[in-house]
Amino acid sequence: MALLAQYVIGGLAAGGLYALVALGIVLLYRTSRILNFAHGDLATFGTFIAFSLLVTYHSPFAIASAGALLITGVIGAAFYFLILRPARDASLLGKIVITLGFALLLQGTSTLLWGTDTKVLPFPLSDVRVYRLGGLVVSQISIGSFLIGLVLMGLVYVLVQRTKVGLAMRAVSQNLVAAQALGIPAKSIFALTWGLASALGATAGILLAPVALLDPSMMLDPFLKGFSAAVLGGIDSPPGAVAGGLLLGVIEAVFAGYVSVRFKTTLAFLIIIAVLIVRPEGMLGREYKRRV
Amino acid sequence: MAGNAAAWAGGGDPAEKLRRVELRERYEDDLFLVRGPAGWVAAAVLAGGLAALPLVAPKYLIYIASLVAVNAVIAVGLNVLVGYTGQISLGHAGFVAIGAYAFGIVAARIPWTPAAGAWGVPWIAGLIAAGAVSAVFGLLVGLPALRLTGPYLTIATLGFGIAVHQVLINWEWLSGGRAGLFVPKLTFAGRPLGDAEIYWIALIVSAALTVLAFHIVRSYVGRAFVAIRDSDIAAEVMGVSLTTYKTTAFAVSAAYAGLGGGLYAIVLHYLEPNQFTLLESITYFSMIVVGGLGTIPGSVLGAALLTILPLEFSGFRQWQPVVYGLAIIVVMALEPRGVYGRWLKIKRWFKTWPF
Amino acid sequence: MKTVMRIVLAVALVTALAAATMAQAQERGVSATEVIIGTSQPLSGGAAFWGVPVTGGMEAWIRLINEQGGIHGRRLRLVALDDSYLPPRAVVNVRELVDRVGIFALVGLLGSANAFAVRDFVVENQVLWINPLADANMWAGFRGKRSLFVSYVSYVDEGRILTEYAAKNMGVKTVAVFYQNDLFGQKGLLGVKRGAAAAKIKVVAAVPYELTDREFSAQAVKLRESGADAVVLYANPTAGALVVRGMRQIGYAPKLISTSALADPAMFALAGDAWNGVTLAAYFPLPGTDARVDETLATIVRINPALARQPFNAVGGIAFLEPFLEGLRRAGPNLTRASFITAMETLRNWDGNVARGITFGPDRRQGINKLYLVRSENGRYVRLTPDITYPVAF
Repeated sequence: MALLAQYVIGGLAAGGLYALVALGIVLLYRTSRILNFAHGDLATFGTFIAFSLLVTYHSPFAIASAGALLITGVIGAAFYFLILRPARDASLLGKIVITLGFALLLQGTSTLLWGTDTKVLPFPLSDVRVYRLGGLVVSQISIGSFLIGLVLMGLVYVLVQRTKVGLAMRAVSQNLVAAQALGIPAKSIFALTWGLASALGATAGILLAPVALLDPSMMLDPFLKGFSAAVLGGIDSPPGAVAGGLLLGVIEAVFAGYVSVRFKTTLAFLIIIAVLIVRPEGMLGREYKRRV
Repeated sequence: MAGNAAAWAGGGDPAEKLRRVELRERYEDDLFLVRGPAGWVAAAVLAGGLAALPLVAPKYLIYIASLVAVNAVIAVGLNVLVGYTGQISLGHAGFVAIGAYAFGIVAARIPWTPAAGAWGVPWIAGLIAAGAVSAVFGLLVGLPALRLTGPYLTIATLGFGIAVHQVLINWEWLSGGRAGLFVPKLTFAGRPLGDAEIYWIALIVSAALTVLAFHIVRSYVGRAFVAIRDSDIAAEVMGVSLTTYKTTAFAVSAAYAGLGGGLYAIVLHYLEPNQFTLLESITYFSMIVVGGLGTIPGSVLGAALLTILPLEFSGFRQWQPVVYGLAIIVVMALEPRGVYGRWLKIKRWFKTWPF
Repeated sequence: MKTVMRIVLAVALVTALAAATMAQAQERGVSATEVIIGTSQPLSGGAAFWGVPVTGGMEAWIRLINEQGGIHGRRLRLVALDDSYLPPRAVVNVRELVDRVGIFALVGLLGSANAFAVRDFVVENQVLWINPLADANMWAGFRGKRSLFVSYVSYVDEGRILTEYAAKNMGVKTVAVFYQNDLFGQKGLLGVKRGAAAAKIKVVAAVPYELTDREFSAQAVKLRESGADAVVLYANPTAGALVVRGMRQIGYAPKLISTSALADPAMFALAGDAWNGVTLAAYFPLPGTDARVDETLATIVRINPALARQPFNAVGGIAFLEPFLEGLRRAGPNLTRASFITAMETLRNWDGNVARGITFGPDRRQGINKLYLVRSENGRYVRLTPDITYPVAF
């Protein structure tokens, strides 16, 4: 039992990060219907910015991470204004391919600017200092980043559900023309969403770097898992993204522990597919109702 | 011409727009692959030029051309699924892998008699197996697709691709695992085939499958696919069976991917699971979008472009992803409907010149 | 499509003409003033952390040689192409290097899958191939080895020697293996199993990971549950560092034994305190332990400062290139494939700036058959044993 709990703890720590990644993807999808394949690489880019601010410019951690989030948010919004918006003739799939091109561009740029070597991001919490509870071990950093993640998820929820900006986001996503007719500045809302989603991604990157080490391909696997978690939870539902992320993390860890390390990703995807066959809109999604 | 291009850049239905670009007046015009004497001459020149390539080009270019032919088969098949039927797949590398390994296992593991080997029976049987096995998996993946759309279908197919990859890595008895599987070189009439002959095989198979795809999409099956893409509910109301045609589309697309995988095994001689990752699925997907969704020639153009570009950029080294990524963004920004749209506009400009 | 065809034809014609002119030269890739060599490496994508510094080390070293006047009056030109670690692109690169660039020799080429994929083409075209960067064991029993020279590691022998040493000198009774699920890790695992069988100790767990994995908490728990005295690592630096930290986090501190691939000074930063007292294999003096290697590193860092961040892989690049340069020197001014092969076969226990103890012969293409063990102590690697030899396989 203690062993199972230890696997679950590891899974929750990973799942919290998947959830953060998923949240950014969901936020963007809700507003613009675009699956952003550059999300992971943008997050890595942001983490590298934090690294530079911390190590090269010796900023305190709070300032460095805030700066990195801001810059990443601006890059995300700029991508919308400078690339995606001018290409508005492209179909949705065309826009997805544009984000793929952007992902390559970002990945290449990170390699050129910061090199290919693996880096350690200095972080105020330690992964060696641990708390013991019976037979269980939890590290300071796991608890810390899990809590930070929860707070951020709460903030996003409040923003989307309780504020005017959130209302505008939902209006734009449900009926763009009507929203514009009502005087909602759709362009700014889209740009804001891109910025916010990108900054969320960078947060996930900064929380991930101390436990996964930083290099240009750091987010490859977490992005894939976050994307899957978003779909598992329901791609238009922020609470779904959180539930999907945590569930995916735990499923993977328990499978790896008790069934097979080699097939853990396959088994996780089999579960996702099974869930989707039963609920095609994901666990908490609501998108599937359609009218002719 | 710039003015014209701007005029076409408004919103609206993509198919309608392409039709206007091509100056077609009747629906029947859409159904012909080659139109008029000029069209036949162009087709003959193209076919002759492609066939004569090995006589003039250096060997490494022939090899690249073979890779283009392989990827063209896969892209055409994927476009039948995505561009014509509206079903997304980000797991096509899984089908390609199944085809490639089916080919490899049939050609390498079955104890063929020397006589059969001399006359090329193993690789013909291998290609048939590649298409057939992959098609069966296509049917299986098509079943969940009956209920899923958009991102949900994307993840389901992506999961399929990852599952195939992990099974190939870890089921060593079947695939040889990470040590890989060597595919014997093709022989015909007791003589091993060279680069040029392998290119011709890839070219013939690829051309035949491309023409076949034209025939599929202009048949009643193809019209059912398009009806499902445009509105599956309306299609069902009009009597198009979603179960039949969605799974058919998956099976056809998977068969193409499998045949492409078989050709890939012929061209590369060596299979290893990491040749069939999510990255490849994403590349196939980008090929058809960059080339032009819902167009067969667009698939071929996109396959050629995205096969040749990274190879041409291989000397750029660390700049390679930057240049490649920028190239994709620029192409999509300039030609939101894919490269094929630009080709049609150029053709029309010549047709209507001097107006 | 027609325009594309025209361009293709034009390019093809020009290239064919160029190729015809070059065929008149005496030897492919060799002129009175130049020797052209080529390599295909992952310079972008997930394996770039290896390909970039290795290539960078080679290039910096070649620049130094050229500044000193080249070898027998010939300057060296290295054409490095990016394959992103994908076999089809490696094949195209090698074909392009041979058919279009016209290289005298292929140096390096990273990864066993890529090496397997280009193997037949290289042999059929009798291209000299120095150091495919993949487990040396893959060439044992390979017939077309005449123009192949390998001074790369054999992970099977390495794993066996590490395990036997642990059983004999470290009091280890049970081992667990954490390995990368590819040929590198699988060969290492095979070696550990052989060593354990020979020393009559037990392999109690073999826990794999994939190169793309970033999360190893489950693997760490599994290793702990095995309760092994020692854990053997066949991993890349990131995974190795993370699993070591993960094990320490959940209160498991086995003896650590590791492949030479992790004998990298960077590990002290990546794994922190946990990288203390680790027993590792080594093939050449590690940066920080040998004056000549440090001097070499300082020289290439002056040429390319970025190499300072990955010193281990950068000097590795030199170690892979050096035997080739020595072959050129010994072959003399009249350089042909045949004279080069004859010259390479005269190398006997030859030491370069980084490479050590390289031996080839008329029937011998495996240049290295010895290693020694080091231990990590307070941020340095300290030599533990004299050279340990293993049988030459090819």
